[in-house]
Amino acid sequence: MVDPDKAPSLPHGVSPPLSHAQEKRSEGTEPDLDPMTLLRRTAYSSSASSSILQIAGTFFRAPHSSTAAVAGSTYGVHVFQCPDTVGIVAKLSECIASHGGNIHSVDVFVPEDRRVFYSRSEFVFDPARWPRVLMDNDFSNLSKFFNAKISIVRVPDLEPKHKIGVLASKQEHCLVDLLHEWQDGRLPVDIKCVISNHERAPNTHVIRFLERHGIPYHCLPTSPGNKREDEILNLVKDTDFLVLARYMQILSGRFLDSYGKDIINIHHGLLPSFRGGNPSKQAYDAGVKLIGATSHFVTEGLDAGPIIEQMVERVSHRDNLRSFVQKSENLEKQCLGKAIKSYCELRVLPYELKKTVVF
Amino acid sequence: MVVAGASSSSSSSILGIASGFFSRALHSSKTSSGPPTAVHGIHVFHCPDVVGIVAKLSECIALRGGNIHSVDVFVPENKQVFYSRCEFVFHPARWPRDEINNDFMKLSKLFNAERSVVRVPYLDPKYKIAVLASKQDHCLFDLLHRWQEGRLPVDISCVISNHVRSPNTHVIRFLERHGIPYHHLPTTPRNKREDEILELVADTDFLVLARYMQILSGRFLESYGKDIINIHHGLLPSFKGGNPSKQAFDAGVKLIGATSHFVTEELDSGAIIEQMVERVSHRDTLQSFVQKSENLEKQCLAQALKSYCELQVLHCDTNKTVVF
Repeated sequence: MVDPDKAPSLPHGVSPPLSHAQEKRSEGTEPDLDPMTLLRRTAYSSSASSSILQIAGTFFRAPHSSTAAVAGSTYGVHVFQCPDTVGIVAKLSECIASHGGNIHSVDVFVPEDRRVFYSRSEFVFDPARWPRVLMDNDFSNLSKFFNAKISIVRVPDLEPKHKIGVLASKQEHCLVDLLHEWQDGRLPVDIKCVISNHERAPNTHVIRFLERHGIPYHCLPTSPGNKREDEILNLVKDTDFLVLARYMQILSGRFLDSYGKDIINIHHGLLPSFRGGNPSKQAYDAGVKLIGATSHFVTEGLDAGPIIEQMVERVSHRDNLRSFVQKSENLEKQCLGKAIKSYCELRVLPYELKKTVVF
Repeated sequence: MVVAGASSSSSSSILGIASGFFSRALHSSKTSSGPPTAVHGIHVFHCPDVVGIVAKLSECIALRGGNIHSVDVFVPENKQVFYSRCEFVFHPARWPRDEINNDFMKLSKLFNAERSVVRVPYLDPKYKIAVLASKQDHCLFDLLHRWQEGRLPVDISCVISNHVRSPNTHVIRFLERHGIPYHHLPTTPRNKREDEILELVADTDFLVLARYMQILSGRFLESYGKDIINIHHGLLPSFKGGNPSKQAFDAGVKLIGATSHFVTEELDSGAIIEQMVERVSHRDTLQSFVQKSENLEKQCLAQALKSYCELQVLHCDTNKTVVF
């Protein structure tokens, strides 16, 4: 049994050679799950916030983690937003380094005209040297020190994935694309349920897919008088955020307040153009040469929340309404997928009233 | 002898036959003397759709020894309208310029065409344009430099501006050097100087609004009667009207753009010719939004003008364009 504290450590700033687990991760697949990892995962699957690292488990993991004594092989991400002042980066990086963490990537942004500080750091560390609960405390101290508005740390391998609810209506291209990306492991979320105001028969692709993967499908038809919001709230209360994958009902301010967490929508147009219904037709009638899609946070105003991502494609006289729609659907899938990934990777931060920082 | 006549769409300037012939002969042929060997022509056609149009058009060209190099045909799904654009090379000795006009005119009548234009860039005078600008220089500069480099195949008959420019500014010196008149016509809310502008541009083939910030009245548009191309510093129909960069910046968009379009009575609503975008992010300030936008405007306007001069832009429906 190797005592990690006695293991020789690399000089500060030197990256460890990638272990087998890290190589696999960087290829986008799950690292081999040794029994110790599985134990730890099971322990933490309940909730993201209050996970306690089991030291014994990680202790035994130490020999697996690298071929040489290292700073660690577990990835962490920290985002920070606070009033700007001298010394924040120094303190954040010192905090990470003092626990043997090796920073791999930093994005810092301070706007020209406002004294606000945003940062996102990616680092590798050894959970044996820097247990998760201590990490939370350390960052919490910094957060208080700098009076931070946002300070979030996430260790993807040690925490449960974001739990999401997906809402859809009749149009299913975004829903299907999302489900396939998830199945391919490219969307790091847990889909708790799919809610739709449109009925789907048992032999449809979506229903069979959801059944195969044990994801509940709730059909909640809406009417002008009844948007079924209370039932939806009940179904999604355990989620971390919601995705509206071409869900065509407007969520009320009351719903947004009650749910309280982020909701990401895909709008099939280049906001602020073509708000509301049938933007493809609006675009087609306007004779534009570029069409687009926009993913954004949902606020009470329709299609007005802070924009996360936008994409365009060229159209010409050779396009008819159908090809406008097809190109649009293609863009929507990509745009929504990208927005969700950015969000899960903690790249998206609110900025002023109506904007986002996307690192 | 080749008659170098004006193309059917431009106004009545007749090229000096002797000087045109000899100068072009010297320029165009690879041998040291004699008429040009092969010359490029462009024909665009817009008529009600029927069977046989392409056959007749191509036959017309082939009969005269013309060799078609490029054809674009477009018939919309849901309307019986036909649009085409042909590029061909021909020998002016075999197919004199005025006969080209006549031959296509016959086809135009045969098919009851809404538009039939043939243009032989080597033989026809360049399009005469006037450029209107206000205080913002960047589109005007870019246009002038492209013209100087021969990348904008037009004759600039004058520049009109409601903004005064002193004699030692780059624009004024440039225009003086090239003998292009600059007319300063300051506007007020009550007086847009439209009659004076109309008089100055009476001889032009089309107008370019290079960030001209005055709205031209319906009366002006009717009196002038010809195409006017504008550059709007936003991705229409977003951000119509003033200061679209600030509007975009405040809206937190991740893409900004520029739009060039034909001018109609309604502000920023005419048929769109070209659009371009660039990415912006939280790292952009209002200043960089504006810089990126200016860069896009220059490219977008230049591309629109180039397409227009090459007869690639056709009006389609009330508010759209075919751009081949």
